[in-house]
Amino acid sequence: MESIGPVYSAATKSDRCYSPPWADLSIIGIAGSSGSGKTSVAMEIVKSLNLPWVVILVMDSFYKTLNPEQHAKAHANEFDFDSPDSIDFDVLVQCLRDLKRGKKVDIPVYSFVEHQRQAHTTPLYSPHVLILEGILALHDPRIMELLDVKIFVEADMDVCLGRRGEYLQFEDGQLSDRAYPVLRDVKERGRDIDGIIKQWFNFVKPSYKKFVEPQRSVSDIIIPRGIENKTAIGMVVQHIQRTLEEKSEKHSATLQELRRIASEEQLSPNVVMMPQTPQSTGINTILQNPDTEQVDFVFYFDRLAALLIEKALDFTSYTPKEVETPKNTFYNGLNQEGIVSAVAILRGGSCLETALKRTIPDCVTGRVLIRTNEANEEPQLHYLKLPPGIEQHSTVMLLDSQMSSGGAALMAVRVLIDHGVAEEKIIFVTCAAVQSGVKRLGAVYPHVKVIVGRIEEESEPRWMENRYFGC
Amino acid sequence: MSGSAEPIPSPAQGVGPVYRSDKEKPTATVSKSISYENVHVLPQTPQLIALLTMIRDQNTGRADFIFYSNRIIRLLVEEGLNHLPVVEHPVTTPVGRSYLGVKFEGKICGVSIMRAGEAMEQGLRDCCRSVRIGKILIQRDEETCMPKLFYEKLPADIFNRWVLLLDPMFATGGSATLAVEILKAKGVPEERILFLNLIASPSGVTDFAQRFPKLRVVTAFIDQGLDEKK
Repeated sequence: MESIGPVYSAATKSDRCYSPPWADLSIIGIAGSSGSGKTSVAMEIVKSLNLPWVVILVMDSFYKTLNPEQHAKAHANEFDFDSPDSIDFDVLVQCLRDLKRGKKVDIPVYSFVEHQRQAHTTPLYSPHVLILEGILALHDPRIMELLDVKIFVEADMDVCLGRRGEYLQFEDGQLSDRAYPVLRDVKERGRDIDGIIKQWFNFVKPSYKKFVEPQRSVSDIIIPRGIENKTAIGMVVQHIQRTLEEKSEKHSATLQELRRIASEEQLSPNVVMMPQTPQSTGINTILQNPDTEQVDFVFYFDRLAALLIEKALDFTSYTPKEVETPKNTFYNGLNQEGIVSAVAILRGGSCLETALKRTIPDCVTGRVLIRTNEANEEPQLHYLKLPPGIEQHSTVMLLDSQMSSGGAALMAVRVLIDHGVAEEKIIFVTCAAVQSGVKRLGAVYPHVKVIVGRIEEESEPRWMENRYFGC
Repeated sequence: MSGSAEPIPSPAQGVGPVYRSDKEKPTATVSKSISYENVHVLPQTPQLIALLTMIRDQNTGRADFIFYSNRIIRLLVEEGLNHLPVVEHPVTTPVGRSYLGVKFEGKICGVSIMRAGEAMEQGLRDCCRSVRIGKILIQRDEETCMPKLFYEKLPADIFNRWVLLLDPMFATGGSATLAVEILKAKGVPEERILFLNLIASPSGVTDFAQRFPKLRVVTAFIDQGLDEKK
């Protein structure tokens, strides 16, 4: 008998989970000796895939900060940058695991001039495919577990040494920053070629035998001659494309399933529809009348949107505040607490910005471009720019002119949550929504508030932004 | 019916969405409720109270004062417009569905009681483009201490229109009462007058509502402290 393995607690409503397409991303590891052409192979894969969601992560970013002694050695070409000890695998593994869970990660920035990690980082979020490229990309078993494809690029060691020599003469300053310090030393400080040779025979070549070459046997594909090997690269590309197609199908299938589950539920009390007064019905009539001129459409849309945004502000936080009036009496009022920011889901969300600026003139506004594939209703994240410190804002309004299938809304909420915004701080503001879309959003994120002008039972494609912008 | 001017403090209560527990609702002074069918007080939401706090605070600068009062005025106008008649107006939407909508009926105009009422004109224009706006200047007569009409300029066809009468502060209601009398004398039926107001005194608004039972008052707040002109 064996002991029972760990039992993980499952979420009570595990069928209500939304997993964006960038969760469970595919990671491709490319290892090989320095100068073997890993970067070229990675670039070639990116070029062939021709997709916006493929990112190359260079392992150089994860070099450990050197202490003064090591620093001096590095300058004397006596520090072994090819040893696994020089790389902070723990941080790298954590980054990859977070990415695999769909989270946003901060990639360290390493300076070869100072031999240390910089204070600033580069954010990385939502790639569907990540190419991890480094001499020792296949070294750590924890990374090996995360890799979908393991590539070893092989080149003759003499060719590699030759390539390093070429770097000296041709690479520009920017690239030599990423190349070895010895190269930079030669270029900028006029060190002679002996430095390279010394580094090569003391570290690079022994390291190759000891750490780099063993990765060959654990790789899935060995690409000899690097970039010139079109067949091997083609195979890798095809494999990734197939995986991505499967993921895309799975993503839209999950979305459909979520909609089915949610359709039988009641609208959550967190969904607030504008009171159906004669004015709001009248405005909705004008907006939906195809005979309405564009100038009138814009005017009435702005009016409705301003009411929606005022309504949304009821749900942010307030604290009591006593003020003295000009007549020297006191009034027990309220003070809005913290920052209220907005994120417009492009393009529809930008229709609400006029109304937003009318209500909060200096509102910090982020952008997220999500396009929905019309064939399978799959939303795709194309662009993202969020205000810094958004996780500390008291309320984040997500703006969209219309919620149709609700896929874009679901994805946008997920993006905010991944950036540290608490679910209950998100208010989705939209002029019109289809009931099934609202229910689906509520099934996955029950604490998100939805402020909506009107709710339709039948499905309705997006059209309001076309009317607003006139194209 | 309560409504006399005894100095009961205005009610302080927790404000916020219904689903929040009382503990989560910050406490603030809200509008006194007045039980006249023709007096409409805007819902006392935390956001409205915060706007009112901004305009009551003596430390609020002029630009902010104007901005925040405009936001309340727009809410007042939007609520006021709800009392205008509409007729059914079915349309076929751009997605080919039929929508049983409504159409606004009847012409409107604004009338501001100078000079405070003029501050509300921008808010009205924000909601109703190219609206006609008449003006009435009423001041206290030095000799009789009664409000006296000094000047009026109103649309010629005002008797055919719905009138949104604008005055932000309502204390004793002397000017507003005279303004309504002037409008009635011009042939505007009482039931076609909507009085839009930011802050009103309970005694003033009670007298007013009793005197003109068919007219509608839309206000953001009724409180105790407002006794004289501001």
